[in-house]
Amino acid sequence: MTDLAWLTVAEAAELLRGRKLSPVEYAKALIDRVERHDGKLNAFLRFTPELALEDARRAEAEIFRGAWRGPLHGVPYGLKDIVDYAGLPTTAHSKILRENVATADAAVTQQLRAAGGVFMGKLSTHEFAIGGPSFDLPWPPARNPWNRDHFCGGSSSGAGAATAAGFVPAAIGTDTGGSVRNPASMCGVAGMKPTYGLVSRRGVFPLAYSLDHVGPLTRTVRDNALMLDLIAGHDPLDPGSAAHAAGGYTDQLDRGVKGLRIGVIRHFYARDMQADVEVAAGIEMAVKKLAELGADVREIQTAPLVDYLACNRTLLTSEAFALHEKWMRERPQDYGALARERLMAGAFVRAADYVNATRLRRKMADAFHALFSGIDVAVTASSMDPPCRIDDPKAVDYTYRRQARAPFNVTGGPALSVPVGFSKAGLPLGMQIVGKPFSEALIYRVAHAYELATKWVERHPVLPGDE
Amino acid sequence: MPDDSLTLDEIRRMAAETGMTRLSDEHLQELLRATRTARARRAALPIANLGPADEPAHVFRL
Repeated sequence: MTDLAWLTVAEAAELLRGRKLSPVEYAKALIDRVERHDGKLNAFLRFTPELALEDARRAEAEIFRGAWRGPLHGVPYGLKDIVDYAGLPTTAHSKILRENVATADAAVTQQLRAAGGVFMGKLSTHEFAIGGPSFDLPWPPARNPWNRDHFCGGSSSGAGAATAAGFVPAAIGTDTGGSVRNPASMCGVAGMKPTYGLVSRRGVFPLAYSLDHVGPLTRTVRDNALMLDLIAGHDPLDPGSAAHAAGGYTDQLDRGVKGLRIGVIRHFYARDMQADVEVAAGIEMAVKKLAELGADVREIQTAPLVDYLACNRTLLTSEAFALHEKWMRERPQDYGALARERLMAGAFVRAADYVNATRLRRKMADAFHALFSGIDVAVTASSMDPPCRIDDPKAVDYTYRRQARAPFNVTGGPALSVPVGFSKAGLPLGMQIVGKPFSEALIYRVAHAYELATKWVERHPVLPGDE
Repeated sequence: MPDDSLTLDEIRRMAAETGMTRLSDEHLQELLRATRTARARRAALPIANLGPADEPAHVFRL
């Protein structure tokens, strides 16, 4: 049998359903892997093997009596530690919330538990999903499984690291300015920021209400679509939830890209911000591959990247500071330096500037979505640089800002980061595939065709001790 | 461009006015850098072409 660490959700589901794999055996294999390796990667902030075994035993009993619930039944997953799991602390990786025990499950947690998933634990994040990687917090930052001296992206750092390391086949992250797609890109996995409102944010500690999205990280595109199928849908208890039909994200996977019109937003990474040569080459090779597969590829233009970034950060810091102002007054010393500085950027934003950013947002979103009358999906850069060293604060600060993800938090449309190869140093490179609102199935279709044609997903990191 | 004219004394006063009286000198330096960055972002917001009919996305829905 394949090494259980590298089973995809889809493969595991097949084996579990057919009773060729025991959920308990599967959970124990991944628990053992986490115990052997996570001391060097810190993907888990709170590892819960006892809960995993409890879930696995329940799944085993249900499956063996013929009550299979679906593709996540008996499959391990993890949650970024800003997502509530009843009875466990949701710390947001911060001293401030160290004792903040959740009294109820988040909406996504409810959905994954109802699907029979095996909960492995809470995953590291940047403090309050904004400050990191930081070494002045109660828990260390997650590290990149491809090279632990390197940054694994954030803020869903543990979700990216755990998925890439073979600790779980799927994890839940959140994305306000790129925080699902950044670790996806840096760790060489697939990470989806769905359409704003498609996945409920109820029970997820907010960073910025109007920009927050919840999304899955997985090693394959099919698994990502399977996970989104489980967590998407209207939630009347989330004020931002979209009243829109959800589901069917795997339906188009095998239809290929022949005839699809794919726009390339090249100016983001070639003019507005110059990407590292290896990143740019990776994207151009991917574009070429999509054309070879039969897509009609053309270059498109949207607003300059800096306009989107200014809009995103003005909204984000204003909304975030509104949430943190009380703690900034009462206990500023309890934040890590990075989170404190990034959050305080919202302290003195004028009301007129915030309102103007929201006006600009609507205009930019409308203009961007109008582009889709001439294309089906678009592709562009995710990170502009390969993962830098985690112990180099200047490089972290420089690369943190160099990204093309925030535009799609501004527009609210879906954006998926997929691997497009590796740097000469063996570190993952990524690209985004983006679409108009609620076009996730189409994005997955393009991503799956590319994935099948390139096989990047067949490469796995060799973890320390496994050499 | 960053607004370098803002001083540490000014930021201390601004912080105190909003009740942030427990910030250390190190925290105030962070607030000074953060505020300069925020002001640079404000300057970069391309709002010149917004017209009166361009309404805010107060409740952002799709």
